[in-house]
Amino acid sequence: MKKQILRFCLLLVVLAISSACTAGTSKNTTQDKPSAKHPALSEQEKLTPCAQCHKDVTPDVYKDWYDSVHGIANVKCFQCHGTYENFRIVPDETQCAVCHNQQYLKRPADRKCWVCHPAHNFFVHK
Amino acid sequence: MGLSRREFLKRTAALTAASYVGMNLPISLEGEAQAADADSWHPGTCRLCGSGCRLELGVKNGQAVALRGISKSRTNYGYLCMKGMLFYKLMGENHPERLKKPLYRAKKDQPFKEISWDEALDIAAKEFAKAVKTHGNDSVAYYGSGQALTEETYIFQKIMRGGLQTNNVEGNPRLCMASAVGGYITSFGADEPVGSYSNFERASCFFIIGSNTAEAHPVLFRRIMRRKLDHKDTVKIINADPRISPTSRIADMDLVFEPGTDLALLNAMAYVIVEEKLYDQNFINNYTVFRKGKDKKQVSFEEYKKFLSAYTPEKAAQICKGNITAEKIRTAARWFATSEGTMSIWTMGINQRKRGVWANNLIHNLHLLTGQLCKPGADSFSLTGQPNACGGVREGGGLCHILPAHRLVKKDKLRHQVEKLWGIPQGRIPPKPGYHTVAMFEAVNQGKIKAIWINCTSPAQSLPNCDKYRKGMARDDVFMVVTDIFPTKTTELANLILPTAFIFEKTGVYGCTERRSQLTRKAVNAPGEAKPEVWIVREWALRLSKELNDPVIKKCVEPFMGKEPDYELPRAIWDEYTQKLTKGRDNDLRGATYEVLEKLPDGVQWPAPTEEFALTGGTDIKFVRGIDPLADKHASNEMPFQFYGPAHPDHKLWIWLRPQKGPEEMPDSEYPFYLSTGRVIDHWHTSSMTGRIPELMRANPYAFVEINPKDAEKLGIKPGDMVEVTSRRGKNILPAKVYVGPCEGMVFVYWHDMYEDRMINRVTKDAFDPGSKEPEFKICACRIKKVSGPKPLKPFIVQMNK
Repeated sequence: MKKQILRFCLLLVVLAISSACTAGTSKNTTQDKPSAKHPALSEQEKLTPCAQCHKDVTPDVYKDWYDSVHGIANVKCFQCHGTYENFRIVPDETQCAVCHNQQYLKRPADRKCWVCHPAHNFFVHK
Repeated sequence: MGLSRREFLKRTAALTAASYVGMNLPISLEGEAQAADADSWHPGTCRLCGSGCRLELGVKNGQAVALRGISKSRTNYGYLCMKGMLFYKLMGENHPERLKKPLYRAKKDQPFKEISWDEALDIAAKEFAKAVKTHGNDSVAYYGSGQALTEETYIFQKIMRGGLQTNNVEGNPRLCMASAVGGYITSFGADEPVGSYSNFERASCFFIIGSNTAEAHPVLFRRIMRRKLDHKDTVKIINADPRISPTSRIADMDLVFEPGTDLALLNAMAYVIVEEKLYDQNFINNYTVFRKGKDKKQVSFEEYKKFLSAYTPEKAAQICKGNITAEKIRTAARWFATSEGTMSIWTMGINQRKRGVWANNLIHNLHLLTGQLCKPGADSFSLTGQPNACGGVREGGGLCHILPAHRLVKKDKLRHQVEKLWGIPQGRIPPKPGYHTVAMFEAVNQGKIKAIWINCTSPAQSLPNCDKYRKGMARDDVFMVVTDIFPTKTTELANLILPTAFIFEKTGVYGCTERRSQLTRKAVNAPGEAKPEVWIVREWALRLSKELNDPVIKKCVEPFMGKEPDYELPRAIWDEYTQKLTKGRDNDLRGATYEVLEKLPDGVQWPAPTEEFALTGGTDIKFVRGIDPLADKHASNEMPFQFYGPAHPDHKLWIWLRPQKGPEEMPDSEYPFYLSTGRVIDHWHTSSMTGRIPELMRANPYAFVEINPKDAEKLGIKPGDMVEVTSRRGKNILPAKVYVGPCEGMVFVYWHDMYEDRMINRVTKDAFDPGSKEPEFKICACRIKKVSGPKPLKPFIVQMNK
């Protein structure tokens, strides 16, 4: 079990790095394909809000989110990334459109939303 | 970065700290495309709080597949919270637990059996008729909901009053906004807020009291947050509450006071405004009078000043405790009085108090003293908790003392107006108001009510001190019909469960907090045999008419005969209500026809007496000449504001002398803590809907008891420990969340959880405001003790046991 937890943490780190890289280079849509798997969790562990673990294992991502308008307004991880049955490391852009449909429709066709609005902090245009 | 399992669990211990299933499940990374897959998009309104966010339902192959916000809507400008973006998962055939067939059992210890609609409606009619014939008209009752459509509340109350001749018409808005109604009527002479959400973008000071806006109204909070972030130095936010909450994140000042001391705090702010001459003398002279007592005696400004002398900031700080200092009170009062526009916002922390009406009055007082009203950014604005508490229940006649369009039952003239408009004999509606909510369920307990229809709400869980009232609902001599979309704690006590259509599975109007009526048209089919309530009530009324041999009952539904139930029937009901009942009233909605509502992205704010005016969006600020057509119509002088509220014959705003009053039950040596309850962002009310959406359930799977770290240390309670919370009514055993949080001496419990041991309304108190009859959910006395370390917990949702 210890090995499993260790693998869980390592993968979370990989996942965070992968997300950050993807956010920066995602003009290439192949980058959107997940490059790592979220580790398996027990049903009980699945009742833990994402941020509860990620606060510790991906603190930079957590801090970016917490200090962002999404963090202040309580927009939670699952609203973009889904839950365990529909989890996506890189959200589908249509998830952005749930709240930002006009911006989504007007976005440059060759760029993903997060090219200009960096993932998790969102507040500046690149 | 190695993390032992023990450490992992420790880190999650604030929530829970044990695993009951060791099985690992694979997690798919493929996800599911949502919005892009829809064939068509259908506009409507969110039903999971009172904000009235407009959204579009994405439909593919007849099934709901996605929701997204409507950018042009002035309620939410396209933004949705997690509940608003996910509730399509409850629609149509999407959810396996939807109720799909009428279910019946003669006795409450029997299993339910599926029956046909004909059988179900016959049974409902026979049982109500039997009760009326045997025990009189007041032995039957309707208990409705601020989540029912206006058309539904209107037709239910019409049948109860005009048909069955009883005013036993109530609804769960009694539990959440009755004190706000009382406050608006006694201070302004007219119910519902003066201004609109548009003030969020114009206010320079926000006074938030008794509202965790960030979680209870997240999309409105986003607007306030944006205003603050865009004007960090010039916009001030005061958050007054016994508990630090996510709302505090944008606050410049947290005023943390001991529960039940809010009246002293508000009077002290008024004291500073008067002492430092921060009031608006012209506004006071032109538009206000001072009053006190049950007889509403008019008094002078000097007497008011004398009254306030008991509430110097120094004295109030001693009463309020928490982090309150005299200087904080002075600063808050100065910010309030001197800003370009101050907007007060409150909700259940103020309304669910033994003196909730008084607390509302004292907030209004601050605005009337300073003239922070009827100008950009200035408003005394009560947030409503449910999507149609205002439109359906406050306006549609859904409480025991009011008839449609803000008419009081006890006023002969107004009652007879309604009878005439309905074409029924004068005297048909009884002059005596019916039972208010707590009294209604007390009457159920006593066997005085023999048949009750509960629609779209779950009082078995949501009433305070609910064990007491569940005993009555469980009586075999009380026939109980429940109309709902899912099994609940209340369907467990029913004789007859009727499956209903959900929003977007039927057509109708919701009226949100800011006097705004918005239409949602049917876009998907209801599952199985679930039906719209308007059809159910019409068919039931026709059978009642036969059972009681009473043609007047049939007369009540005659205008609606032959209408197909998905659009024509609700439109006919809406037309009757708006064109006949609201004509000439302060909530004149004649311009807000279905045709007009369908043309606008965000509906119409009343008053809107003509279609031409309604097409402009209606009235943004009441009482202002040039903005509110009724202000021009009722103008008796050249003043820019005309306070024509029907409850104040003097057309003045009333500044009330209201003393500090504590809660009904204070902590003592046996029960030394205050208990307060509230919401979390992921769940709605009793979680019968949100608990069935996996994302939302996982985000907040159980209720917790929040404990201040200083209290937890004294009692040896650590995060995740199981804690028993006991009052004189009952007890819960909940996992602890230790943080600030609640002030010292207070614990806070989320009220959505259905699991018996975590259902906090078994512990709360059913004392109520003598004016509004709204219960004091927010304060009672309790004791707490650790009963064990962390234990594995499961989320719980009621299932149907047929």
